[in-house]
Amino acid sequence: MEHIRTPKVEQVRLLDRFGNKATSGTLYLTATHLIFVESSSTAGSQEIWILHHHIASVEKQSLTTTGCPLLIQCRNFRVVHFVVQRERDCHDIYSSLLRLLRPVVYEELYAFAYNPKQNDQQREEGWQLIDLGAEYERMGVPCDQWQLTDVNRDYKVCETYPRNLYVPITASKPIIVGSSKFRSKGRFPVLTFFYQEKKAAVCRCSQPLSGFSARCLEDEGLLQAISRANHNSRFVYVMDTRPKLNAMANRAAGKGYENEDNYSNIRFQFVGIENIHVMRASLQKLLEVVGVRTLSMSDYLMGLESSGWLRHIKAVVDAAIFLTKAVTVEGASVLVHCSDGWDRTAQVCSLGALLMDPYYRTIKGLMVLIEKDWISFGHKFADRCDQLDGDPKEVSPVFTQFLECVWQLTEQFPQAFEFNEWFLLQIHEHVHSCQYGNFLGNNQRQREELQLRERTHSLWAYLLSEQHNYMNPFYSPAHAERHPVLEPSTLPYHFKFWRNMYHQFDRSMHPRQSILKTTLTLRENSRKAEDTLHALEKRLHQLGVTPVVTSEPPAAPLPPARDRRRSSPPNNAPLLPPLRPDSLILGEAPLSRKEAQRREEEEQEQQNDQGGEELGEEATESSASSSSDTERTVEGSSATDSRKQSYGELEGKTYNGEACKEEPASVVNLEFGVARMTC
Amino acid sequence: MEKSGSIDSLGSKRSSSRQPSVDSLSSTSTRSDRSGQAKPPSADSVSPTELSPELRVRPKAPIKAESDKEEPQLLPNETVQDMTKDVTYICPFIGALRGTLTITNYRLFFKSTDREPAFVLDLPLGVVSRVEKIGGASSRGDVSYGLVCKDMRNLRFAHKQMEDSLRKSIFEVLMKFAFPVSNGLQIFAFEYGQVFPENGWKVYDAQAEYKRLGIPNESWRITKVNDHYELCDTYPSTLVVPVNIPDDEVKRVAAFRAKGRIPVLSWIHPESQATVTRCSQPMVGVNGKRSKEDEKYLQAIMDANAQSHKLFIFDARPSVNAAANKMKGGGYESEDAYQNAELVFLDIHNIHVMRESLRKVKEVVYPNIEESHWLSNLESTHWLEHIKLILAGALRIADKVESGKTSVVVHCSDGWDRTAQLTSLAMLMLDGYYRTIQGFQVLLEKEWLSFGHRFQMRIGHGDKNHTDADRSPVFVQFMDCVWQMTRQFPAAFEFNEYFLVTILDHLYSCLFGTFLCNSEQQRVKEEIPKRSVSLWSYINSQLEEFTNPLYVNYYNHVLFPVVSLRHLELWVGYYIRWNPRMRPQEPVHQRYKELLAKRAELQKRVEELQREVTNRSASSSSERAGSPTRSITPVQTFV
Repeated sequence: MEHIRTPKVEQVRLLDRFGNKATSGTLYLTATHLIFVESSSTAGSQEIWILHHHIASVEKQSLTTTGCPLLIQCRNFRVVHFVVQRERDCHDIYSSLLRLLRPVVYEELYAFAYNPKQNDQQREEGWQLIDLGAEYERMGVPCDQWQLTDVNRDYKVCETYPRNLYVPITASKPIIVGSSKFRSKGRFPVLTFFYQEKKAAVCRCSQPLSGFSARCLEDEGLLQAISRANHNSRFVYVMDTRPKLNAMANRAAGKGYENEDNYSNIRFQFVGIENIHVMRASLQKLLEVVGVRTLSMSDYLMGLESSGWLRHIKAVVDAAIFLTKAVTVEGASVLVHCSDGWDRTAQVCSLGALLMDPYYRTIKGLMVLIEKDWISFGHKFADRCDQLDGDPKEVSPVFTQFLECVWQLTEQFPQAFEFNEWFLLQIHEHVHSCQYGNFLGNNQRQREELQLRERTHSLWAYLLSEQHNYMNPFYSPAHAERHPVLEPSTLPYHFKFWRNMYHQFDRSMHPRQSILKTTLTLRENSRKAEDTLHALEKRLHQLGVTPVVTSEPPAAPLPPARDRRRSSPPNNAPLLPPLRPDSLILGEAPLSRKEAQRREEEEQEQQNDQGGEELGEEATESSASSSSDTERTVEGSSATDSRKQSYGELEGKTYNGEACKEEPASVVNLEFGVARMTC
Repeated sequence: MEKSGSIDSLGSKRSSSRQPSVDSLSSTSTRSDRSGQAKPPSADSVSPTELSPELRVRPKAPIKAESDKEEPQLLPNETVQDMTKDVTYICPFIGALRGTLTITNYRLFFKSTDREPAFVLDLPLGVVSRVEKIGGASSRGDVSYGLVCKDMRNLRFAHKQMEDSLRKSIFEVLMKFAFPVSNGLQIFAFEYGQVFPENGWKVYDAQAEYKRLGIPNESWRITKVNDHYELCDTYPSTLVVPVNIPDDEVKRVAAFRAKGRIPVLSWIHPESQATVTRCSQPMVGVNGKRSKEDEKYLQAIMDANAQSHKLFIFDARPSVNAAANKMKGGGYESEDAYQNAELVFLDIHNIHVMRESLRKVKEVVYPNIEESHWLSNLESTHWLEHIKLILAGALRIADKVESGKTSVVVHCSDGWDRTAQLTSLAMLMLDGYYRTIQGFQVLLEKEWLSFGHRFQMRIGHGDKNHTDADRSPVFVQFMDCVWQMTRQFPAAFEFNEYFLVTILDHLYSCLFGTFLCNSEQQRVKEEIPKRSVSLWSYINSQLEEFTNPLYVNYYNHVLFPVVSLRHLELWVGYYIRWNPRMRPQEPVHQRYKELLAKRAELQKRVEELQREVTNRSASSSSERAGSPTRSITPVQTFV
């Protein structure tokens, strides 16, 4: 708190990034958040909450006639542009933020202060939701060829690996230890995914310290053991995910790649994914292109191409497809590595597993996958996401890229994934929010030292409690049965710009109608109808009649506390749970929050009044009231707020005339389309 | 429906596997898969788009007994003209295939049993734009022919040189029947004798449509002045003009407008009475000629709308082009001459630019896509840029009418290409009726067909002159814009993507009379409705295929699409549908239909139970009254 000099500034204007509209309101600075509250008497007044950890950069621009501009860029791709009337206020906020967004020690992170009003037991249960031991069992290990090794029990062999590692039965301790000495950072080959059907394994490691000629018998022995553990194939694929040039360059530093002559039975393959620096620059370029206010079609397409971002995404997907084919078609085991084996290796292994195993395409499964391939195997979240003030060269959107690959797949296979886009966005949000303990630190050992399990909460518990928001209504488990292995197409037009990620907070860029939202509403309606059905059946039962048509036995009469969401009052909220930004993509919260509240109130009222007997009526009431009038206007009402401004601007443009003739860009200013009622 | 049964088997002899692997899947074998189940008499049409899966999952039609026959199932009055074995089709995706080629007076049918499932290529001759012999006879005696098609693909065949040099090559037969007009033959639409349960010629009735719009009213009247097309031969007979302009003045206005295409009403706002009117350019010329009558006429259009004292004239052309037209006697309205009128140029390019642009798109997407330069290649076609300008123009028109409550006049040069695009798109945004299947048909019949978009010229039905500078994909471009809108408002349109693709397929197929001729006058003269079948007869006889399950009736909504480039994409489902690697999207729509069905069932059950409860509780005294009697969630009211 000592860093906050001015906790509240009034009459701050918020400029729209792509339009000419501005809203004025009050800016609050708390220990954890920067909050902008629109000063407007209307009910739908806007509120923006920005967590300090989300802020990537703050820029104070030179004073103008209207005030002092403050430009804030966030890691979740929100860009806000405030204009503060007095320069002194602006400077205060600016310097406070500068300090606040650069925490020096982990204890300063929000996760250590965040308290969602759970007791210790609930928190503990939250952490136990994901059990990697059980996950390996689900895959079918340990088995006759693979066993759990305790060699890293005390992080002695490799401190960036988890304690529990799975290796071939024939790999003895000396072999493992010997191999680890020959691998960069001691990250020796271990199992990460087991394809039970063909008994083929996906293993991961870091690059060998081969230099130009060095070799290591133990390492060769370990690869041999991996090969022997799979009877389907006489060889192991070794995928080096780097471009060949980079791998060669590493040889000069005493590292490098496996020499096929030294290892019997390997097939070596480069797949050419660029390194973290290239990816960082690429995303930066992409954001610059799409951040231009009046962008021409050709600048957009050329910029998109020259940023290379979609090409990099394709490279990762291509690598995952290669891995999948090797395992599922050829039945061969594959060893994947890059340089350190925690960036590109994590991307390829996890994406490959996602393609091979339908389980990872469920909500819980994706959590497990991230927990396994990213968190436990030591993807350096702290460095890559810049959690503490660190080396900017270590920051890179590797995990964002993985999430985008998943998204691109969901676009190609809308029925194959249990989760929707909003789930991916929420994970991305919280990887950077530092609100939960899961992603803090760089590896498991560090997390244990920080005692995260005791001192912070788990994101997965929170996401699971909210999982109805993340359900993909098109998900079909039957599809997963029919197509256990996904074969995505990699034609270039299948890789699209992820508008909802990079423009999530730019209202004017949102689609006018979302199929997802429509479908969710439909699902919700069905669910309510089902509730009503059950209630009615129950009621009939009370009346002593058995329903004529036998339907499935009434399951849970009411959904388990699904719609319970508290609204957070703006004043005391910073430390209050659950901070839940509305899904901007879906317009409002996926299932309208107000409606949920009203439903809840109604429920309570009626339960109070009638002792919870009249379930049927109450359900009827809520579904009926939510049906026609209120919902019909959603489209219209959400549009009205932006309507006036956009028209004003639009008319101004055309009436002024000169603007519209000079730059064809005025056309872009028509971007605010709205649908509404005419009568 | 049984009528259409005869075309059921069109094309498909053997259904291919449901999920052919990428390698073995050829665009055409998908087609045979599809047409086996659905029954488009089709322009060979599979679009493996996100819609086709709906069709895919439908129960398979029983395999036809004649499945090993090598000739197609013929349509009524379709006759085989020639048939040759041992023809090689050089497929750009799967390589050379040997098989039998059949030419009828309607289609080209190629079947190869080399591979399993049998490969079938079935296309109406109408889509063929040109046939050329490639090179001379090769050393092995093969002659090779290339077919350039109007629907974004090229086909290549080869066959042995005829030993009997007197006998005509099958490709000479093909050329004859592919270009019947040039060869003094009849277009197949005049022979096609299919009868459908619906009569599509009745879909559009000008009087009824104007009545729907509330015309005539105190400001607008229907005039008979063009009853026999003497005022303007490219306009329909029924025209709506301002009440206070008598017919003889209308005639003088016609003299001042290119081709006599006077400003007439296309659409009127139900509340504000703001109107969309269309016309051709004024004959201003280099000397800046003026016409008192024309000025008075536009004033009358403005006066007809009490809400606004302004009139917007949208000239679709770039201002440079409009100025250049003065040299040819045309031009644009000067703001001096027209009081209170404001002229806006929409910068949309002419038919030649559009033709060139789409040609480049074809180059980029067919047969193969260069992966590393996909986006820059796409950019170099400028196609999306043109789409954007057209949508942006239509949006400005719609916005002026809806929000500005101001009447607008839209024209380009002749008022039958860009003008038709703009007015019809604006109307699609403004009026929910046009977003229904029937309404869309009315929109096409009215704004495109009756107002004389020159389909015959732009498409070149049955005409071998493929270099004709009058050809242009103006209508395709319009349909692309519609598709872009459906992408942004997935629930606002009653029709689905398959509907749009089907219309485009039959734009070329010459199976139906709908898109023949250049104007209403010609159609009347040729007795098209009497002598041919309407495309709408076919479509309206199986609406289920073309219905969008997400549709919610947004009758009263005005749609303002975002014309940001971030929302525009290439219509892959149309332009790239021949590429077998264009993986069809999974059947989201199918899933949605299931959900709808489930809900309907639940609601039915709830209502049943409610009735039951009401009955019971009425009879049982222990329960309070007031049980739910009102009906639950009406099916179609969510957003």
